[in-house]
Amino acid sequence: MKLPKLRAIGPSLWGIGVFLLVLAGLAPWIPRFPLTILVNLLIFAALAYSLNFITGLTGYVNFGHVVFMAVGAYTLGYTVGTIRLHPLGGVALGGLMALVLALGLGAVTLRFRGVYFAIASLVTPLAGLNIVLVLPALGGGQGILLNIGFDPLSWFYTIWAIIATEVGLTYWITHGRLGYGIRAIKSDEDAAKSLGVNAPRLKLFLFALSGLFAGATGGVYAWTTSGVFPEAAFDLTFSLRMLAMIVIGGMGTLLGPLIGAIAVYLPSRFFLTIFIGTESIIIGLVVIVIALFVPGGIVGTLRKYVPELRRILE
Amino acid sequence: MSRTLEASEIHKYFGGVKAVQGVSLTLETARIIGLIGPNGSGKSTLLNVIAGIEKPTKGTVTVDGRRVDGWPAHRMVELGVAKTHQIPKPFLGMTCRENVAVAMMYGSRREGEPASALEESRRILAMVGLDRRADAPASNLTVQERKRLEFARVLATGAGLVLLDEIFAGLSPDELRDAIALFARVQKEQGFGALVVEHVMRAVMILSDFVVVIEEGRKIAEGSPKEVVEDPAVIEAYLGSEATNVTP
Amino acid sequence: MPEPMVLVTDLAFGVLLGCVFAVIAHGLNLIWGVAKIVNVAHGVFIMLGAYGAYFLNLYLGINPLLSAPVDAAIGLAVGAGFYFGFLHRELRGKESIAQQSEMVTLVATFGLALFISNLALRLWTGNFVGIPWSPGSIRLGFLQLPLGALYVAIASVAIIALTHIFLSRTYLGNAIRAYSQDIPATQLMGIDPTFVAAVGTALGFSVTMAGGALLSVWLPVGINPGMGALYAPISFVIVVLGGPGKMWGSLVGGISLAVIIDVGQAFVGTSLATAIAFLTLIPILLFRPEGILR
Repeated sequence: MKLPKLRAIGPSLWGIGVFLLVLAGLAPWIPRFPLTILVNLLIFAALAYSLNFITGLTGYVNFGHVVFMAVGAYTLGYTVGTIRLHPLGGVALGGLMALVLALGLGAVTLRFRGVYFAIASLVTPLAGLNIVLVLPALGGGQGILLNIGFDPLSWFYTIWAIIATEVGLTYWITHGRLGYGIRAIKSDEDAAKSLGVNAPRLKLFLFALSGLFAGATGGVYAWTTSGVFPEAAFDLTFSLRMLAMIVIGGMGTLLGPLIGAIAVYLPSRFFLTIFIGTESIIIGLVVIVIALFVPGGIVGTLRKYVPELRRILE
Repeated sequence: MSRTLEASEIHKYFGGVKAVQGVSLTLETARIIGLIGPNGSGKSTLLNVIAGIEKPTKGTVTVDGRRVDGWPAHRMVELGVAKTHQIPKPFLGMTCRENVAVAMMYGSRREGEPASALEESRRILAMVGLDRRADAPASNLTVQERKRLEFARVLATGAGLVLLDEIFAGLSPDELRDAIALFARVQKEQGFGALVVEHVMRAVMILSDFVVVIEEGRKIAEGSPKEVVEDPAVIEAYLGSEATNVTP
Repeated sequence: MPEPMVLVTDLAFGVLLGCVFAVIAHGLNLIWGVAKIVNVAHGVFIMLGAYGAYFLNLYLGINPLLSAPVDAAIGLAVGAGFYFGFLHRELRGKESIAQQSEMVTLVATFGLALFISNLALRLWTGNFVGIPWSPGSIRLGFLQLPLGALYVAIASVAIIALTHIFLSRTYLGNAIRAYSQDIPATQLMGIDPTFVAAVGTALGFSVTMAGGALLSVWLPVGINPGMGALYAPISFVIVVLGGPGKMWGSLVGGISLAVIIDVGQAFVGTSLATAIAFLTLIPILLFRPEGILR
């Protein structure tokens, strides 16, 4: 398939592109503490984009996305801890391992429709956690403590590259022939199949991408925390946060995951110091309201009610 | 290119229910086969088996001599065999044009560029008389318009052999006359072969070159429309007192 | 190879625990069966049921067995509220539940789970609490069984039996079953589908919250706002094992799951046994999507 001509690339992509380039240019001058906050925000955005590939684009609600993140984190922890691999290598391998897991898992669970897929996805992190707990090589219940130092600028550029790739791929997928097939699957999978859409292959492709990027991001996360700890790595609340981000931002859109990540992550940073726990209550309420009354999230709603923005927010 | 689809000795059981029991039929380019039978006689199941939506319990399906039974639906479409759904299944979030474009890009035509597929979709929508609704969301269509969209999508796949599940159901006599004329015209232009499952006897009798009658999963008669209508087994099993009304 | 006596003990405990698992999953099964909706926030209502029992014990001194009916009554109201808040707009006037609605309710109930569990965390802190109640134990040969667990198991089976009788023997119950098969059919019975669906959902919540109270007997120091994150997936697996919409399926699924964990841990340790128990879901969905019961 041909790459779109530069002129044909939409304003959303330009917008995100400029935003990312400006960030990349500014990063070396940002003081360390704000930079770590920015890195954390980008980690969440990267996770949201990775989940968007499967849940946003196809409508298969994945509650267990955190497994891919955990696999990436453990891969980095193990390879950096035992064979002294450079963390960047750990990130790449983490992505790869998560991709392999996604292919294996997806080949089975993507056969389940609707709620059955969601349920299967909910139990995989629980099973994963209980398996890791008995693996001595992965530190069992203790986890893996690394000593790889504090290097926010490297974290930043790594996660930056991951997001840039995700955004580019999301654009490429949604704006071509594949995008039509995927929308057809999301709308009515049986009808899509009966018009020639190879739904199983397309879903597996998206699931694999989703695993790849979540795994790589999990690697970056382990790098920033300088270690992997089982209860934290398989923490379902991560999955739930990511899901909240894409629901709030707008499922399946190009800008949604970024906006959702900002909308969910930044307030929680500030609320954290005021009253602990309140931000999740608010996020929960917002998710309910959006799911029931505002399908399409922030981006979808803007597109619907502000026609001038329709062409911009593709 | 002339294509032949042969279904032979198809059986399909669901648990203990024997929906289809050893039905054979042949479908060829440019010929229209009517498949009739009472409610629950296994017509739709047979169609689903041929289209790759269900796997046959026993029996084979070949296309141009190549065995294809058990192939998934999307591969059958690649091969040029496509089916409409009895209850239309439009992609509700898309416009009519986009609906047709999906079929155009993923069917046997493999149109690669969305822009040209969308352009070409207009022509197909015009063919079925939906050109005025081309940019309307499919969710705004009436039931009859949805049926036309269903037909348009199957045409757009480029299928040489189409399976049509009750596309004439629920029409008023006037609408039916128009629909039959439209179908006959499109079929003549495109030259596809069609297997038409129908409840509406009039449509089957007018359009079909050959009619197959099934009851309780078994074939009870076949032949030209005229032969079938006069077949005592058919009159007995299915047509009963209506027999007098069938001939057009 | 573990001792046979240990195995028999594990099996007995597995069956007792399985009965409680069954009743918490039964609430989910009812809602799933009636409305064809999976309530992702299910675990949160188990948690609320357990806290209900905890507070009733703390302030009024009643034991969990007696709190169960109180929880059940509260559950009816909560369930009716849930129906009108979350399900009514998706089900109203529909002949069946659409793919789109399925996703809406999945995401909305997920938001509800976030909301309630974090609200509970804020109100009751993350500390683990429990109910001090131990009515002694009974000896059966070499088996020493805690009476509390035994009572709770009996109560659980009784609840499942009662709902079964309600659904199969009463007019309203039959209407609920008809609704779950075919929504327009309820109208033929002369019953408002909204009423039927609301009652079915309320019944599901009632059983869930009563189940939470019964479960608290097994959790001397295990009641916590986050407990739903474990018991919701357990309930999902049980319903799939037993077969969604099959009333005795909850019992079969619950006992199977608890026995796999309790007997399995004697062979491979608790962690792996738990992992295996959760993963049984996948082959069941692949090969017997209708559950192990015929």
